[in-house]
Amino acid sequence: MKSPRWVLSAAVACAPLALALLGPAAALAALPPDPLATVQSLPRPASPHWVWVNDFVFSHMVSGKAMLVDGDSGRFLGELDTGFGSQRVVLAPDGQVIYSPETYFSRGTRGVRTDVVTLYDPSHLSPLGEIVIPPKRSSNMPMISNAQLTDDGRFLLIYNFTPAQSITVVDTRSRKFVGEVETSGCALIFPTGARSFFSLCADGALLHTVLDDTGHASKSDRTQPLFDVDHDPLTEKGVRVGDTWYFVSFSGMLYPFKWEQGSVKLLQAWPLLSAAEKAQSWRPGGLQQLAVHTGLNRLYAIMHQGPLETHKDPGREVWVYDLVRQARIQKIAMKNNSGSIQVTRDSHPLLFSIFIESTVLDVYDATTGNLLRSVTDIGTTPTVLVTP
Amino acid sequence: MKWLDSLTEGSARALAKRTSRRGFIGSLGAILVGVSTVPLLPVARGASPPGTSGPSTGKAPGGPADDKAKHVNDPTSCDYWRHCAIDGYLCGCCGGSENSCPPGTEMSAITWVGTCHNPVDGRDYVVSYNDCCGKSTCGRCLCNRNERDTPLYVPFQSNDYNWCSGSGKTNIPYHCSTARIVSVAK
Repeated sequence: MKSPRWVLSAAVACAPLALALLGPAAALAALPPDPLATVQSLPRPASPHWVWVNDFVFSHMVSGKAMLVDGDSGRFLGELDTGFGSQRVVLAPDGQVIYSPETYFSRGTRGVRTDVVTLYDPSHLSPLGEIVIPPKRSSNMPMISNAQLTDDGRFLLIYNFTPAQSITVVDTRSRKFVGEVETSGCALIFPTGARSFFSLCADGALLHTVLDDTGHASKSDRTQPLFDVDHDPLTEKGVRVGDTWYFVSFSGMLYPFKWEQGSVKLLQAWPLLSAAEKAQSWRPGGLQQLAVHTGLNRLYAIMHQGPLETHKDPGREVWVYDLVRQARIQKIAMKNNSGSIQVTRDSHPLLFSIFIESTVLDVYDATTGNLLRSVTDIGTTPTVLVTP
Repeated sequence: MKWLDSLTEGSARALAKRTSRRGFIGSLGAILVGVSTVPLLPVARGASPPGTSGPSTGKAPGGPADDKAKHVNDPTSCDYWRHCAIDGYLCGCCGGSENSCPPGTEMSAITWVGTCHNPVDGRDYVVSYNDCCGKSTCGRCLCNRNERDTPLYVPFQSNDYNWCSGSGKTNIPYHCSTARIVSVAK
């Protein structure tokens, strides 16, 4: 690297020559005035390599936000302010609107509580409108499954906890609150089709709900317990490939739940860890610890070594699995602690990684595992990552 | 939801009293049968040197066994004996104490109950981790332990909920957590 002194000396030496060649008029040409009130906007459709970094700003929870970063350039593109205890933005499948379930108080941290779904313009990141919903939205560590769209994009579903459990249904077409679906004993939302979803229940069962065209529950079935909550619970951080949801247990068993002929069935669970790796206390961990690439049929899992109670801890490795062969095919060494990962959907996918105690977003090539860039100063307590 | 609050704390106390600390995970002797207190930051254990505070979390002192013994009677330490099942910011670092809320906040009725061993008198105590609600997060002395923590679909053992959700006047803004003695564990 050239020293600053060398660069300065060269510039001083060359300046008279440059001025002589260009002439005095060129050297003194005035800059045009900058236009007033220029505001950037974003192109549509969104790049598949953009990522929304959600942040619930734990040190000041009334100021939640979501930040948009371009994985290709590392540029910070813009931000949404998303209110108290914000969890995540939800992107409409057609890219025309961003939904954000939000909570506000009339006097900052006190006064009347109002919960809304704010609709944002994806080009200008400004509000298009809002839908008032019951002030029941769950306040919890942010999870992707706190808010989901049905597969047809028609209904937005939001998990409530007061601590009574239910799910708010919003019609995205009429932009109105439709009603609530009771889910006593069961939590969160995992879509299974155009108008259906399941929730995970405290006894290891799944509650499957089908909505009618008005957004009200037309059918509700509860399975027998499908996993052992007491001895090896599944994390609630499921990921989906087509008609199958994958959940990992605390000990590293992968449970595929397949939506088939109107009901959810558990396929054969298989281990992400060998016996030797288990003996060395390897286990999955993190807030958003799994990611998938549907086209490649690959699962990405954050791994670390530690006892059972470290099931939320970050890792310095991401292990990659072929979901068809049910075999690990790659290990990616992470530059920094990784607590949340996401993989883009395109054919040249990126792997994003961040940790809630850090503000550095790392961007990897999801196929080679090579680190492409690190983007610094992203929020305060970044939580879950959402890609278009 | 008063009936639910009462039921929750009552059931948790009863179960905590029935259950010996022996046989539970680690040396904490914690019985996490109640509910948690706050959305927690899943910290990297051991990331900070013993006795120091993490820059982003204001983490209370904690560290290896020697250091833990030093802090076992310090109410502002994660290693304080009552904090065997604590999750959240310590109210003792925020203008309150281990059994009182800071001025202007409200104590949540819903609690996470644990059983902790007091090395001074040799007894086990049922400890209730009531949240203080109604102001922005205190941000000081974050303690985070996930022993026997369960996912969100088992709410009353999950420390990922903000349990100010059940509070009355002040609604859901979470400020800090106490560690009240409820009774001697039988």
